[in-house]
Amino acid sequence: MTQKIIFPIFIVLALIQIYVPAKMILNNEDVLKTGKEYKFRTAPIDPNDPFRGKYISLRYEESLTRVKTDTFRKWERGQDIYVLLEQDSLGFAKAKTVYEKKPLNNNYVKAKVAYYGNSFFKMSESKSYVVNIDYPFDEFYMEESKALDAEKLYNMSRRRQTAKPAYALIKIKNGDAVLKDVMIEGISIKDIVKANQDSIDSSKNIQKQN
Amino acid sequence: MTLQKETTELIKAGIISEETAEKIKGYYKTKETSSTNRLFVVFGVLGAILVGLGIILIIAHNWDNISKTIKTVLAFVPLIIGQVFAGYSLLKRKDSHAWKESSSAFLFFSVGAAISLISQIYNIHGNLSSFLFTWLLLCLPLVYVMRSSITSLLYIAGITYYSVEIGYSSYLSSVNYNFYWILLLLILPYYYLLFKNKPKSNSMIFHNWLLPLSFLISLGTIADKNEELMFIAYVSLLGMFYLVGNTKFFSEQKLRNNSYKILGSLGTIGILLNLSFNWFWQDLRVKEFVFEQLFSSNEFIVSSIITVLALGLLFFRMKNVNLKNVKPISHIFVLFILIFILGMTSSVAVILINLIVFVIGILTIREGAGQNHLGILNYGLLIITILVVCRFFDTELSFVLRGLLFVIVGTGFFFANYLMLKKRKHATN
Repeated sequence: MTQKIIFPIFIVLALIQIYVPAKMILNNEDVLKTGKEYKFRTAPIDPNDPFRGKYISLRYEESLTRVKTDTFRKWERGQDIYVLLEQDSLGFAKAKTVYEKKPLNNNYVKAKVAYYGNSFFKMSESKSYVVNIDYPFDEFYMEESKALDAEKLYNMSRRRQTAKPAYALIKIKNGDAVLKDVMIEGISIKDIVKANQDSIDSSKNIQKQN
Repeated sequence: MTLQKETTELIKAGIISEETAEKIKGYYKTKETSSTNRLFVVFGVLGAILVGLGIILIIAHNWDNISKTIKTVLAFVPLIIGQVFAGYSLLKRKDSHAWKESSSAFLFFSVGAAISLISQIYNIHGNLSSFLFTWLLLCLPLVYVMRSSITSLLYIAGITYYSVEIGYSSYLSSVNYNFYWILLLLILPYYYLLFKNKPKSNSMIFHNWLLPLSFLISLGTIADKNEELMFIAYVSLLGMFYLVGNTKFFSEQKLRNNSYKILGSLGTIGILLNLSFNWFWQDLRVKEFVFEQLFSSNEFIVSSIITVLALGLLFFRMKNVNLKNVKPISHIFVLFILIFILGMTSSVAVILINLIVFVIGILTIREGAGQNHLGILNYGLLIITILVVCRFFDTELSFVLRGLLFVIVGTGFFFANYLMLKKRKHATN
């Protein structure tokens, strides 16, 4: 290959390398701006992704749903599914049912099968199975120094069994979801952690001054 | 300076002419520049990799005080800097390896940094495998455009990580297709180019090590319901490596650069030693293969393909080389398949495996003695020692007998080395 061809190829490659991340940004911005907002109740654990710093791992309370035998007999773990969403009386999102193909109704989100098996609960007549849904919005990234505090805070808010539970704000458009924020008692977790850290810092300063 | 001294002395003594002295000096001068050049490449690449990794770590901190827009812009900064450097070295520093290799290595990491920062900003649930997949695919063309061996090596390491991530976790492997084999195919043309243009270069040697290792690691991801068959695939693959290592091109190189031969030999003996225990064969006899499924299973197809390739190589080798010079390990994979089939019904298989390891040990010792090579001799002795140690643990032999076995092997070690050293001394005298 001569130099003349190589450089244009390089330029095309460079443009693709810029285009792919840019496209990711545009898609997500679109969902954030025009998507429908849902609130999902959650619960946390802690892993540490070597490539993406610290994040809180969110587990969703409404990830269990029961589907009739015939519809999912051949489903496998990790398979793509479409979860039809509805809202409960308190305004939180709930999985109504699960489809293998895109539903006509627009209130759905793309997810994966995390686990399926026999129902532990005896349902009336027909034999039922449980599908555990693996939602695609289960990682919320925090600044390294704040992630641990955020997680502690989150665990505490769960233990207290408060009336205003913690939830995740999710924007959804055409099945694509973007995690916007994690809220505890209606306040963003980032703000709560920041306020806590500030108050700890200021009390330390007071101690120092004394 | 010493060279100057030496040459004048040699001219005075009338051993070389002035002309030869000039030639010698010229030769060492060019050699010196090529070695400083290599040093440049090494430090350039190391620097680029460190800076690239550093940027990824700084990004991983996930700065909350910076607004989303600035973070988004920042994601592209290292990427564009990397591209500018790469473009510059492509246009202006065409002949500089140092420039090409280090700018490509930096660009490789900045692509990863950009994707991961954006995943972070938008909390994108990307499992590690899909992140690696996008990253590697975006960087693959760099290898060819920049002719960068470092990027190729990083890419091979990356696809191996990807295949381990996706292939060895039962959760993902059932539905997510493992693209490793396609990704691997895409880098092979570069390997061929290296082989054609720079067969003796360091890049080629690194590729010779990394590619077969990557293949060995990823082959196991194919295992599913008939995983026992993978032993055939592995033994055949290692046999093939060994045959490749014995081709003219590789056997002319230093042993430590002959990765195929080392991997083939160590791997084959390692697997055979593993199978010299009874556990595998006990399971194999109990296992009921469903034959219709067996022949259409991935494990069967892959094992067959690899075995046929290895047989082809073996046939080729036996045609061209005197039978006496074909090393015993070259034939093991054929024997192993026969033993495997036998082992499905009979318990003789495990004894045969032990016998094979023993024979390999003896033949290696003989080869070492014949070539007057201490390394090969002791390798053979080591094989037999490990075999004895393995049997030490799982046989019902009395302690006295086992003790005697050790004494015999130990004395064997001592005498074999002693005799060879004595022979050498004799030869020098």
